[in-house]
Amino acid sequence: MLKIRSLDVAYGGLKALSDVSLDVEEGQFVAVVGPNGAGKTTLFKTISGVVQPVSGEITYKGQNLLAVPADERAQLGIAHVPEGRQVFASMTVMENLEMGANTRKGRERWADLLPTILELFPVLSERRSQLAGTLSGGEQQMLAIGRGIASAPDLLMLDEPSMGLAPAIVDAIFERIQFVHRNHGLTILLVEQRVAEALESCDRGYVLETGRVVMEGAHDTLVSDQRVRRAYLGM
Amino acid sequence: MDDLKWMLVDFFQALAAGLLVGGTYGLMCVGLGIIFGVMRVVNFAQGDFMMLGMYAAYYLVTGFGVLTFLGPYAGPIAGAILAGPIVFVIGWLLHRYLLGRVTGARVVSAEAEGHYAQIIMTLGFALVITNGGLILFGSQPISLQTPMSRESWEIGLIFLNQARAIAFVLSVLFAIGLYLFLTQSNLGKTLRAAADNPIAAAYVGINVDRSHRIAFGLGVGITAIAGGLIASTQSFQPYIGFDFVIVMYAGVVLGGMGSILGAFWGGLTIGLVQQMSTLILPYQLQNTAIFVVFLLIIFFRPQGMFGRIWERT
Repeated sequence: MLKIRSLDVAYGGLKALSDVSLDVEEGQFVAVVGPNGAGKTTLFKTISGVVQPVSGEITYKGQNLLAVPADERAQLGIAHVPEGRQVFASMTVMENLEMGANTRKGRERWADLLPTILELFPVLSERRSQLAGTLSGGEQQMLAIGRGIASAPDLLMLDEPSMGLAPAIVDAIFERIQFVHRNHGLTILLVEQRVAEALESCDRGYVLETGRVVMEGAHDTLVSDQRVRRAYLGM
Repeated sequence: MDDLKWMLVDFFQALAAGLLVGGTYGLMCVGLGIIFGVMRVVNFAQGDFMMLGMYAAYYLVTGFGVLTFLGPYAGPIAGAILAGPIVFVIGWLLHRYLLGRVTGARVVSAEAEGHYAQIIMTLGFALVITNGGLILFGSQPISLQTPMSRESWEIGLIFLNQARAIAFVLSVLFAIGLYLFLTQSNLGKTLRAAADNPIAAAYVGINVDRSHRIAFGLGVGITAIAGGLIASTQSFQPYIGFDFVIVMYAGVVLGGMGSILGAFWGGLTIGLVQQMSTLILPYQLQNTAIFVVFLLIIFFRPQGMFGRIWERT
């Protein structure tokens, strides 16, 4: 579904990603893990078109994604749930979800997706007419994910949904993400610093360090790898 | 007894005048509210766009005579309303080719979110438009004299200037229309989303540059309509924008940043204070009174009358 080949991204002269290749197959749950500053968010921004790469290729459903302007990539079925939530603070919870459904497919499927989202995150239903900026961090994260789902995406990209949240809330959110993946067959690309949780739920994982993919493989290969266990899983 | 009666008449006369003037101020503030309160662009030239609206209305009605066939009543009203689309296009083009370079998604990570560049650029617009106006229109104060400007409706002992009363009604209608557009229509909501969080807006498939352009055009266009309405109630020259830009910023901050309805109430409050102050203060202290009230409100309610506090994340 999503194919990235030898992607190089630089900010000014500073290299953020070098020679990154990555594959996401339809229906898979792919996790990209790594420490702070590894280039995970840059990778997402490049897929969304907010950052332009120096070289490399991104193809999505066989189409050259780099030729598509940023605001039209959402129309192709890519939903980016950004790092730090980034909800529309001055708009209500419902308006935020409506903005998610700004895509053609999102508008068509609004009637059946809205109940799904509200069932997934009942707290959003309770707070539907509250301003998004007044929600707690966890609720904002749920809203951001809900907004992503509202666009009726084929690929849901989640950038560090655990950021700044209490462990119990993180567990709940990860559980919801897995639920969406399993029950709705949504393809998920997740970027996380919380390696243990992210690897636990993925089909396939990539370890990113200082802009390079240092390891990749299926779930079982990665969690049983000695280096991953020592460096990230604390075993 | 008679003294008391005349005091009351004076009071209600000032109240009526304040409401009528304030309504137009309110519409003006709503225009700036979209640009400053919602998009967070500091537009120094807002008053000058209003001035362009005044001259647009003036030339539509008198100069080109295109509106003479509508008669002395409908003509000036149509002229004021048409000033909106004209200034919308000017604003749209300025944003497309100049201001767009320092607003929107590409400057969120810039220092102070690009505010410095915006301030310099809009200050430049203000200087160019004012002085361009001086060359094109001359410095002679003019006014759009219509029968409405001179006639009044009498309600009991209170006089309502017709031009001002009509301006008030139209201002309220336009403000309500704009409010409904921004809160109910899909395009209106995407404009607010693009202003609220440009990056997230791009992620949900909103063309942020286009949204900002429409919002900017709309903001200056609405203020221009208010200018067109004022054109038949007072005389003006190319420097008039400066007098009003202060009123507008005070109104928007008073009403509460980011609140469109608040901006309208802010403008209305300023009109009321300005007119009511003449009851007890010399005429020259009108603007002083505005700022004393402004300071008091900001002191006791820093978020403005209708401002909402939320955590920006």
